[in-house]
Amino acid sequence: MPKKKIATVWLGGCSGCHMSLLDIDERILDVAQLADIVKCPIVDGKELPEVDITLVEGSVTSDEHLREILHIRAQSKTVIAMGDCAVTSNITGMRNYFNLKEVFDTAYVNAISNDTEGKVPNHIALLKLHEKVVPLQEVITVDFVIPGCPPNADTIFYVLYEFLNDRIPNLSEAKKLKYG
Amino acid sequence: MNTIKITINDTVYDIAINTTILEACKEVGIEVLTICHLEGVSNVGACRLCLVEVEGINKLLPACTTKVAANMVIRTQTEKIKKYQRITTELFFAERNHVCSVCVANGKCELQKLGYKVGMDHIRYPYLFPSCEVDTSHAWFVLDHNRCIMCTRCVRTCAEIEGAFNWDVMNRGNQVRIISDFNTPWGQSTTCTSCGKCLHACPTGAIWPKAIVQGQLEKKPEILKELVEKRKMNL
Repeated sequence: MPKKKIATVWLGGCSGCHMSLLDIDERILDVAQLADIVKCPIVDGKELPEVDITLVEGSVTSDEHLREILHIRAQSKTVIAMGDCAVTSNITGMRNYFNLKEVFDTAYVNAISNDTEGKVPNHIALLKLHEKVVPLQEVITVDFVIPGCPPNADTIFYVLYEFLNDRIPNLSEAKKLKYG
Repeated sequence: MNTIKITINDTVYDIAINTTILEACKEVGIEVLTICHLEGVSNVGACRLCLVEVEGINKLLPACTTKVAANMVIRTQTEKIKKYQRITTELFFAERNHVCSVCVANGKCELQKLGYKVGMDHIRYPYLFPSCEVDTSHAWFVLDHNRCIMCTRCVRTCAEIEGAFNWDVMNRGNQVRIISDFNTPWGQSTTCTSCGKCLHACPTGAIWPKAIVQGQLEKKPEILKELVEKRKMNL
């Protein structure tokens, strides 16, 4: 069986899910026997190549995330939403209770830590935040979800390993499901 | 004791008359999912999780408010029921803010456990993000409307066990809210006795004591039933 290609992507999230992914510890060797990790948040900024499985952390919060997730969908055979932000929008989505201006003003203009007059950064290189944060399934077809904030390393490994062996994992057993 | 024969999931049982389907199921050891049901207070059939199929009736009936009748044929585990339980659970999560990772009740929440039980891995409905207030006016307790699922367990506990009638419900649809007195801050209530029973009645992190932090909430809803039963013994 030829080696599969895996990518992991970090959109609007805290990287906690990636930390949990790293917590699979030495089992990364079992993954490495079956697949090459061709893209992850600590490699350089090349575009996502064609891959078999992409683990996506975080929700879609901006124009850049939207472009990225559409590209990921086109390049990946299987897209796995990893963690509550990708699945439900979670904490990232809590800004949806406010309008975007209030969010910016709270963070930049009225922040307690401001020592001078705060202003909202507006540089061409910065991503443009969307008015509302949405989970992955609102913009693309997601093939599998791993809820949890963050998901357990055991669960992430289980799901990944099943996919690498061409099996469909089953999270319906209560002990593997976790939110928060 | 007068008993009648009913069939639950293809097994025939002798059940006392005037028993609800939910009580009958509990008696014979069949698990029925509930969230608005609380031992010790009356049933209102609000959450629709305990819906069961009864042969000859083409709609699902809530087990907690439907009394058993002779020769009733009840099914509690059909695919149709499981489908509706999952839908109901997802709608609970889709309405207000049920972000477990920032909630005081994380790990001890009945809604969270319900999600695991029905195998909910994601929510298929758009989130509503209604604007809800957090009432911190009480000296010791907080009411966070964002986490309320309108089970009304606090309302019934306050009225039926404490007899204070502090809590009530206003509005309809997604504007529905739990109110203290006539929709005034909880801290200004003239009826609340600060007994704290509503804290234990609440299945989620909607009512909680100020002295705790994320994931530290301990709820003991079983003490309410115990209290009701001890009172009966004293009579």
